[in-house]
Amino acid sequence: MRNDADETINVSHFKFIGKILSVFTHELNNHLAIIKESAGLMEDILSLQKPSQQQAIEESLKIANSIGAQINKTSWLCKQLNNFGHRMDNTYSAFNVNKTLEELLILINRSANQSKINFAKDFQEDIPSIYNNPAKLQFLIFCLVDSYLKQLSKDSTIVFKTSHKDKAVKISIIPEGRFIEAYEANICPDDLHQHIVTKLEGNMAVYERGAVITLPLSVATGAKMPE
Amino acid sequence: MKKKKEVKVLLVDDEVEFVDTLAQRLRMRELHVDTVYDGEQALSFIKRIEPDVIVLDLKMPGLHGIEVLREIKKMSPQIQVIILTGHGTEKDSEEAKKLGGFDFLRKPADIDLLVAKIKEAFAEKIERTMTAIAFAEEGELDTAEKIIKKEE
Repeated sequence: MRNDADETINVSHFKFIGKILSVFTHELNNHLAIIKESAGLMEDILSLQKPSQQQAIEESLKIANSIGAQINKTSWLCKQLNNFGHRMDNTYSAFNVNKTLEELLILINRSANQSKINFAKDFQEDIPSIYNNPAKLQFLIFCLVDSYLKQLSKDSTIVFKTSHKDKAVKISIIPEGRFIEAYEANICPDDLHQHIVTKLEGNMAVYERGAVITLPLSVATGAKMPE
Repeated sequence: MKKKKEVKVLLVDDEVEFVDTLAQRLRMRELHVDTVYDGEQALSFIKRIEPDVIVLDLKMPGLHGIEVLREIKKMSPQIQVIILTGHGTEKDSEEAKKLGGFDFLRKPADIDLLVAKIKEAFAEKIERTMTAIAFAEEGELDTAEKIIKKEE
């Protein structure tokens, strides 16, 4: 009984975080859209000015343009965070593993940059969608990456590879570089990684250098139909 | 000389500052633009004046944009609707398409792209209307209706 309640709390907690993220990024994006239109209007007005003020106009146009470009970048990041939030709308859904991975890598790219570690992707194209728990899969990948980021020396690379074979999708995470002693504890203890994979109804092979997660195209139906 | 028809655009968005600024920019590009700030206002507006193209937000207080689109298509299927939303989901995009939405853009959209889409939507409205009239004149009213409703 208690385990059921704990599981419900966990699921609700994910949904709560997802809701906050998606609502908040929506709000942020609205403000960005207003700033972008205001900068655009400034550009429009400047373009109508007299040619005698050409130099000032050109400078101002450059600034307005730069504002627009920064807004586009920020809005794109907001979109990634918003999609990440929406992953938690339903516990189970059909999703594309490449897109789900890509989204996570964009969001944690800053952590990798700070450690001077690169991410490299080797995704199989036209990979079929799988039916599973995307938020939990992102959490698992995050836990593994977090652990590697703490153990790898700078200028290392983490390679993310996806492939599809025999009604299963494989995700390989391969750290390439020199391992060093980690000074910080992992966000999720290593011994829980296998437990998360079991929840995803997949399996994970952990090698000295890297991990391969295999997920079925669809988890067992019945109790886990889309909500 | 025949005067070129001015495209009548209705912007529907609850973000007043956004919609007013965007309207100003579109007017500078020679479009006739009206603005309303929620779905109910949009529906009562089109009972009085028929725009050619509606640029519609999805998440607004009261009626959701998808509901507004559904009502517009029931009332005046010839009006072309472009969804312009902050973060519409894939599901929203599919639903809008199913209901006959012309296009689905994400905010902040490039002004030149938005203007191009509005003009394309207007051209489609004119073409569908002309084809439907031709069929109606031949007495093929069902076909005419299907063309307007994009059911052909």
